[in-house]
Amino acid sequence: MNTRTKDQMIAWGFLSPALAILIAFGLFPIGYAFFVSLHNWRIKKDAFIGFEHYGRALGDGQFLLWFLIGLVALGVVARLRQMDAMRTGWLGWAAWFLYVPALWILLSWGLSGMLETGDERLYNGFKVTFFYALGTIPIQLSIALGLAYLLFKSLRGKGVFRVLFFLPYVTPVIASAVVFRTLFSPHPSSMANRFWEFWGFEGQRWLYESRSIAVVILQAVGIESYPEWVDTAFPSLALVSIVLYNIWVYVGYDTVILLAGLSAIPQHYYEAAEIDGANSWQAFRHVTLPLVSPTLFFLSMVAVIGTFKAFNHIYILRTPGARDSVDVLSIAIFDQIFEFHNAGYASAMAFVLFVAILGLTFLQNRMLGKRVFYGD
Amino acid sequence: MYLAHFLCALLLSTLWSCGGQDTKDSPVQQVDLESVDPSGQQVVFWYQHTRERETALEELIAEYNATNTHDIVVQGEYAGSYSDIYNKMVVGIQGDALPSLVVAYQNQAMAYHRDGGVVDISPYMNSPKWGLSATEKKDFVQSFLKQDFIGGAQIGFPPNRSLEVFYYNVDWLKELGYDEPPRTWDEFAQLCRLAHANPFSRSENKERSLGFLIEAEASRLASLVFTRGGDLVNDESTAYTMDTPAMRGALSMLRGLMEEGAIELMGEEYGDQREFAAGQVLFILRSSSGLPFVTSAVEDGLDFTWTVTYPPNEVEEPIINVYGASVSLCKTTPQQQLAAWLFLKWFTEPAQQARWVRASNYFPVRRSTANELGDYFEKNARYQAAYELLDYGKSEPTMAGYQQVRRHMQEAMVEIIEGGDMDQVLADLQRDADRTTAE
Amino acid sequence: MATRNALRGRAIWVYSGLVVGGLVAAFPFVWMLLASFMTRGETLRRVFTPESVQWANYYQAWKEADFGLYFENSLLVAVVQVLGTLFFSLLAAYPLARMEFRGRDTIFAGILATLMIPETVTMVPNFLTITWLHRTSPFPWLNSWPSLTIPFMASAFSIFLLRQFMRGVPNDLWEAARIDGAGHVRFLFQIMLPLCRAPLLTVGMFTFIGSWNSLAWPLLVTNTPDWRPISVGLQQFVSEAGAEVHLQMAGAMIATVPVLFTYFMIQKEFTEGISMSGLKG
Repeated sequence: MNTRTKDQMIAWGFLSPALAILIAFGLFPIGYAFFVSLHNWRIKKDAFIGFEHYGRALGDGQFLLWFLIGLVALGVVARLRQMDAMRTGWLGWAAWFLYVPALWILLSWGLSGMLETGDERLYNGFKVTFFYALGTIPIQLSIALGLAYLLFKSLRGKGVFRVLFFLPYVTPVIASAVVFRTLFSPHPSSMANRFWEFWGFEGQRWLYESRSIAVVILQAVGIESYPEWVDTAFPSLALVSIVLYNIWVYVGYDTVILLAGLSAIPQHYYEAAEIDGANSWQAFRHVTLPLVSPTLFFLSMVAVIGTFKAFNHIYILRTPGARDSVDVLSIAIFDQIFEFHNAGYASAMAFVLFVAILGLTFLQNRMLGKRVFYGD
Repeated sequence: MYLAHFLCALLLSTLWSCGGQDTKDSPVQQVDLESVDPSGQQVVFWYQHTRERETALEELIAEYNATNTHDIVVQGEYAGSYSDIYNKMVVGIQGDALPSLVVAYQNQAMAYHRDGGVVDISPYMNSPKWGLSATEKKDFVQSFLKQDFIGGAQIGFPPNRSLEVFYYNVDWLKELGYDEPPRTWDEFAQLCRLAHANPFSRSENKERSLGFLIEAEASRLASLVFTRGGDLVNDESTAYTMDTPAMRGALSMLRGLMEEGAIELMGEEYGDQREFAAGQVLFILRSSSGLPFVTSAVEDGLDFTWTVTYPPNEVEEPIINVYGASVSLCKTTPQQQLAAWLFLKWFTEPAQQARWVRASNYFPVRRSTANELGDYFEKNARYQAAYELLDYGKSEPTMAGYQQVRRHMQEAMVEIIEGGDMDQVLADLQRDADRTTAE
Repeated sequence: MATRNALRGRAIWVYSGLVVGGLVAAFPFVWMLLASFMTRGETLRRVFTPESVQWANYYQAWKEADFGLYFENSLLVAVVQVLGTLFFSLLAAYPLARMEFRGRDTIFAGILATLMIPETVTMVPNFLTITWLHRTSPFPWLNSWPSLTIPFMASAFSIFLLRQFMRGVPNDLWEAARIDGAGHVRFLFQIMLPLCRAPLLTVGMFTFIGSWNSLAWPLLVTNTPDWRPISVGLQQFVSEAGAEVHLQMAGAMIATVPVLFTYFMIQKEFTEGISMSGLKG
């Protein structure tokens, strides 16, 4: 037996216990959800209906087709631009313009038709989910990176601070949600309203506010008339409040993982940087950052996956006042199961979400994966 | 590349799961109920009760196990919240692993029944040998039983109910010059304004004084609509009626009072209980099952005099919203189903009901239970006050999709109260409600 | 001197930032702690601090929710799950990070994919699998520890995290080990394992917290209190009819302290950075 086959066997041997569990409890449910989505299925299996649920969710098939063609075209253009001949010279510049027709197909022929013929709840779910992810991930990760860097250095009392910043994550949700709801309640004496009124603004309804944050700000400065899109193109104040809660809970979580990442950096790199006369910012920029990049990459992937199927916090903090402005996709799926008792359609929605996350993770891996520095 | 591999693997696993999922439907057997023998059956009962209620229920079950003549053994199991129970039932229905009895709201029982998870209880109720006698049947509050009679089948059996009662601060009302609670909504509105202008003398925070704190909750809205002579469905219960004079009347009253600052929307969980106890709110509307909590809250708070009554109304007789989860009989074996029914019947007998009611503060479903509750009434005047309202009960719709309609109602309620366009919002609400019926 | 003053000035800024942030982060916990010592009247009146400390709340919560039993269950389940997760994830992460073999990327993508579907939909099929295993395997799964631990032992999250760390370990270590005649098994357990101390502790801790706080799944796969975790005990304080905030918070405190303690013990390990000098041959 040569080393190659032996290595193969070792690899599979190491992997097999974990794979067995993951196939049974991770992949099987995905396949099962797909199977359920192809049927009329409330509690029990009923007639096979093929892709009917998907049609209802996503909209007319022809629009979906255009949407996919647009996606493929975008991919092809991106690929073309990577070719050597395109990198330099006027060709490369010209290639930029190829994006225009691709996007045109994607948006105008595909997406707009899908939005019109598909399920409002699904697309609203996508929109809210995007807002949620965009609102949380960058802020959360930057704060956590800064914190981790500070709490890693030889700082007096860092043990205490490490515990303090981790507290929101370990505080049981029943307690932290109660506190958060009190802080952000529409009650005139709530902390958020006192803060807001301190700056001379009128009290807000926070978790109960379905109007967009842009509208709220405009009204706070006294502008009462605004075009319709100002309300739809921004997240609602209720969603922003939940985003704040999410950041507040998960900063500690991210920090802990980054701390572990930092402590795995071999000391001699810092020593070398010191010998080279690097100041602390340079050391951070050229030693710390590249060396924690695998951890950051991990965190950003997990954060995208996590926010796209976020459920618990939103479920607990959602109010009737917020209407559907905080209903991310997993909330819409939950409603289908527990309120409509329609497992078939819920599974179709879940599978659409699954494909979306898969595609997004794939893209992210493509774009960020290359920038990760894995040692020598 | 690896994406393609992965999708192939997924497809394979799907095919595999398809192969493994042949559910066999056992043919429904017509069994002569009279000759079934329930002896020695094991009955599993899934419930959501915890703490005092669970203890009391377990005591009752133990007593039944010790005394019943058929050697039936009932086993009660705390199965989590309503949605946990629903998950368990979904799997149970697919895998033929059901309990014998399960606590379920009407919409859940409907879903179980549609997929063969629960059976019609009427044959058991009507059986000469095992069922209820004519007098016993009459003893039940009819509207309670009717609530679980959906689509020609008795898909649930009520062990208890709660009422949506109107709580008011008697001392404060006296300060405002009234000895009686408001009986019409106009009077109510007037009192809300008065209360806003004249804080309760013992309140610690006189800056905040409200007539009413309303929760954005479909049941509250239903109460307001019912008491104005309206309903949420048409007479035949075939379609939702959202844009009615009663609905408009209720919402514009709330909106008006809200603009004047006399009432507010509740913004914190149990905020109404808390502010009521703190003497900052004159009236609240909520489930009678909250009575013990309001009682101890007020005792720990300002300790004023308060009581409950029916909500103000615009019709001849008082109307009060009544709700509660029932117990459904799951499809198991004929013997087990019968045994489960026998326990259920025993559980709703007045002697047991009286004990259950004392521990749970729910309302009994059989009128003669009152005979056993003399001393309890004496000690709990407010409970008795609410008990006397049982006859005025009216329940919310039991149409498919009501759960979803509730959500839409709550959202519309908030929007209109806060000054949204009534015509537009109600039209949208009607459209959303119609859509759920279509689904 | 000037630079020293500037440095000190910056330190003050950093500290005050940290203190403010720390207060914001700790606020709910402090609130929970204070509320757990209040009388019901105090929770109703929105006071911030209790007049006198009500230890009785803890006693009542402990007794009423049967925390004694649940505590033991949670601890046992968490320990089994942490050990299993660490072992299986370590094994799985190593070849994904350090070895070349066919289908590696496919497998890794598949592992990540298991994270991408909401639990609301996976709950039912997984419960079906468990009931099937319960019927066919020689030992019981329902109402026992296997159903509570085994499904989570190979978490994609843990494998991914460990893989990221292992990929960052310099390759010269492997070259050196190979010259010494070590194979993959020895390299993993003798060199990789100590190097991955921090990430392993992290994975262990998050697995512990996840297990400790899980609620819906344990309720699904158990029918009796015999194996139910502490979160179930805690849920029982959330009544349908009213809030007893003081008891709820006392219960929450009881449930939180072990987690906090575990973290406090572990965070000390996240220091300095590893020294590899001893490992270089």
